[in-house]
Amino acid sequence: MSTCSHRWSMTDICSGYLVVEGCPHCGGRSSFFSTAPVPPIDEYREGAHYWEYLGSFQAVRFNLRCDQCERVVLLDDMMGLMLSTCDDPACKVGGLVRSSGRHTSVYVALCADTTHTTGKCVSDEGIAALSEYFNQNLKGGRKRIVVVPCKMCSRVDNCKGIVIADAGLTEFY
Amino acid sequence: MKISEIVAKTGLESLNQFEDDEITGVYISDMVSDIITGAKAGNVLLTLQTHKSLIAAVNLVDVGMVVFVKGKKPAEDVLELATKASVPLFSTPLDTWPFAIKLADLGLR
Repeated sequence: MSTCSHRWSMTDICSGYLVVEGCPHCGGRSSFFSTAPVPPIDEYREGAHYWEYLGSFQAVRFNLRCDQCERVVLLDDMMGLMLSTCDDPACKVGGLVRSSGRHTSVYVALCADTTHTTGKCVSDEGIAALSEYFNQNLKGGRKRIVVVPCKMCSRVDNCKGIVIADAGLTEFY
Repeated sequence: MKISEIVAKTGLESLNQFEDDEITGVYISDMVSDIITGAKAGNVLLTLQTHKSLIAAVNLVDVGMVVFVKGKKPAEDVLELATKASVPLFSTPLDTWPFAIKLADLGLR
């Protein structure tokens, strides 16, 4: 176990597109990060799934590196962050939002497979490092950020929240 | 420099209540993915964007105040979200560059 009181910085910052796909057969959602100049929109079969392009957003991905012990926490399993406004009484995230104080904001770290058909989500190590990183940079003592994995949502695709994403910036209206 | 001093010296219109916190720098961006990686706590953010995703981003990195340029103003639900998150919002009729020059003249970088 590390005894370092980590001081995190963002590292490996990379701009690209968050591409969201859906499978019409199972209703599953999947997303991936692409650094291609134009977001890929191909449909393809993968096992029982047939993934169709649903949309894309300009996005950024990064890892966290401790300036003191040089430990790097990879966040390649995180596709985005969502400020939760969930009011579902059956949802643990909604419960956390309700029980948190006025100055606490709950952010959901979204993984690639928000339907969790693979059982995977953003790692515990990643969630802990994200929480530490965003809280260490707050000014003053009023505000607090809580980061939770999207597997904590009862149904993340229906969860109420505001995803931090640059939607529509490459489209004409 | 305190928010109130910036407001008084640049003629900003306040859009919600604010605590008179210290502003320590300037960041200019219209992309939320850029804001969460580039803006620092205590920055004044100059932007054209007035949507909820912007509030989610600036709250996460504790931006000190947001200035909407070119007279832009957010919708009521965005104002509500910002007020709940204690994010001070302001509007200026100026474009980004002339307003950035004003801030630079005040010594903010």
